[in-house]
Amino acid sequence: MSSPVKSKGARPKTKAGSDTAAEPAGEPVKPARAGGNILIVGVGGQGVLMIAKVVALLAQKQGYQVKQSEVHGMAKRGGIVFSHVRYGPEVWSPTIVKGEADALIALEWAEGLRWLDHLKHEGVFIADTRRIVPPFACRSRKAGAPINYAKETPADIVSRVADGFALDASTIAEGFGDARAANTVLLGVLSASLAYPEADWLEVIEASVPPKSRDINRNAFAAGREWALAARANPTLRFDSSITSYEAPAGLLQPKITLEINAAWCKGCDICVKLCPERCLALNAEQVAVLKSPDACTGCHICEWLCPDFAISIRTSHPEPVTA
Amino acid sequence: MNEMVRTLEPFEIKDYLRLQLMPHFMCPGCGHGIALRALLWAVHELAIDKNKLAIVSGIGCSGRVGAYIDANTFHTTHGRPLAFATGLKLARPDLTVVVITGDGDCLAIGGNHLIHACRRNLDLTCLMLNNEVYGMTGGQVSPTTSANRLTTTTPGGNAEPTFDACKLAEAAGASFVGREVTRQAMALKNVIRDGIAHPGFSFIEAISDCTEIYGRKNDLGESPEMILSQKSDMRPEAFGNVADEPFRPNRLVTGILAKQARPEYGAAYRDYAVRVKSKPGRPR
Ligand SMILES: Cc1ncc(C[n+]2csc(CCOP(=O)(O)OP(=O)(O)O)c2C)c(N)n1
Ligand code: SF4
Ligand code: SF4
Ligand code: SF4
Ligand SMILES: [Mg+2]
Repeated sequence: MSSPVKSKGARPKTKAGSDTAAEPAGEPVKPARAGGNILIVGVGGQGVLMIAKVVALLAQKQGYQVKQSEVHGMAKRGGIVFSHVRYGPEVWSPTIVKGEADALIALEWAEGLRWLDHLKHEGVFIADTRRIVPPFACRSRKAGAPINYAKETPADIVSRVADGFALDASTIAEGFGDARAANTVLLGVLSASLAYPEADWLEVIEASVPPKSRDINRNAFAAGREWALAARANPTLRFDSSITSYEAPAGLLQPKITLEINAAWCKGCDICVKLCPERCLALNAEQVAVLKSPDACTGCHICEWLCPDFAISIRTSHPEPVTA
Repeated sequence: MNEMVRTLEPFEIKDYLRLQLMPHFMCPGCGHGIALRALLWAVHELAIDKNKLAIVSGIGCSGRVGAYIDANTFHTTHGRPLAFATGLKLARPDLTVVVITGDGDCLAIGGNHLIHACRRNLDLTCLMLNNEVYGMTGGQVSPTTSANRLTTTTPGGNAEPTFDACKLAEAAGASFVGREVTRQAMALKNVIRDGIAHPGFSFIEAISDCTEIYGRKNDLGESPEMILSQKSDMRPEAFGNVADEPFRPNRLVTGILAKQARPEYGAAYRDYAVRVKSKPGRPR
């Protein structure tokens, strides 16, 4: 997750505008003649491979040789999916070496951060700020517990990379009727960094999506491209400034869990003790179940349902949200 | 149905128990208690009035379970709860009638009643608590005792093949057949709930642990080990298979196993009664 660009402002922050005075601000920059390395990352179901396909077809259309490789083993369960697309006059290896990606496109925020070290110093970083929190980030299973997920905000990351864009592409896509078109919004953003004709982009996108979603994708692409051109012209628009913190808000509404053990009914069978996923029960010296770590109890009811003697009862009450 | 479940008061088991009889007589860790909870939970979700609920049970530890329910309960003779329940339901179609029976009660001495109850398809629910043994009488072999298991009547290990009670019920005509393990208490509640709601004969097998007699005699571990191995048996491959030799050697399939559309006998019987009465010239 460490970015190769350590010092803030050590390099020119943008490719466009600042160094090419001849080019009007907001115009797409020229592509590298030698081709490019595009890394697309996300989680299952987001359309990583669709982006990869579009980029690959587009590069082919420009007469480049293209190699694409991908990993999508856990795709169905929201697991990591990534795809490397390499194109140029002649391409040998299908994978992008660390620090060699010209563009990193992240459909999921934490995945983007995870792959930052693959980006070239001057590479383009494009990410959806929408977060998909994986189950293993929820170490504490208590309702409302803080999650172990990247705390960096879009502002943090965009200031750390040379050429970053972080936008709520999912919400933009939702506006066109399908959040799944977020990937096409990101393609629109990418299109503003690669000077290939807009018509070519639209042609390959239309060839890569089902006919009934063509309109949505065309709109999503246009919205992404427009957003990126505006952001190139005005760097304050490069990140979604509405997100000021990914920290869990203090004092999240935790339900109040009351676990009662009726000692007179408990027969000390040990089922609740051994089957509690949080290991919060124990048998005392009299072989009666006791709650030894109330703080760890999630109120999951397993002990209650499996106690053959109905000795445990759990009540959860949800506090009313406090209006600040 | 889900709509209704959500708007209900939370389930408080004490509302459904005869508190003066508690704690119940069952041994520590006995699965029958878990099954009883699942049944009462299902009754709660279906919002059945306790006065309109009749529990008919046979004998054995399973039969004894009914005595703790604060509803109309009948503790009947060995193997005959289905026969009593049939009469009751025909006379009082307004009642929800649930039979609680054991593997010995239902499949051995009561086997004939079971197949004919399935055949008639009267709107009853039969909850069979299968612990593979005659628990109450000290651990004799039953029609579901697994191969090679030790019981007082099979001191060298059981050599008889077993019944698959669910297949038997389906073949005999039960229009709803389900099975669940007590380990999956919520799923068990769901099967029981769906079975009671089903208009026709519902047969539900609850896999339950006889911890004190069968578990002890066969070295199946303490109560927690026994209930945990119910699950390893369902999905042996997920638990390393060979290493933890499953508690029950057969692979259990759980959930709703069969549903068939057949005429419900209660309605057919009432039609018949009307027809016979209205025939002129017939005696009475
Ligand atoms: C007519 C008659 N025969 C025998 C008995 C003795 N008896 C009591 S419980 C029981 C076995 C019950 O086994 P099962 O139905 O499996 O119930 P469990 O105790 O295992 O739950 C027997 C044979 C009896 N009560 N009545
Ligand atoms: S499961 Fe119930 S009876 Fe068994 S030890 Fe826990 S509280 Fe006691
Ligand atoms: S509800 Fe029971 S099983 Fe669940 S965490 Fe609390 S003590 Fe453990
Ligand atoms: S003898 Fe077996 S079935 Fe009967 S109460 Fe004890 S453990 Fe349960
Ligand atoms: Mg039995």
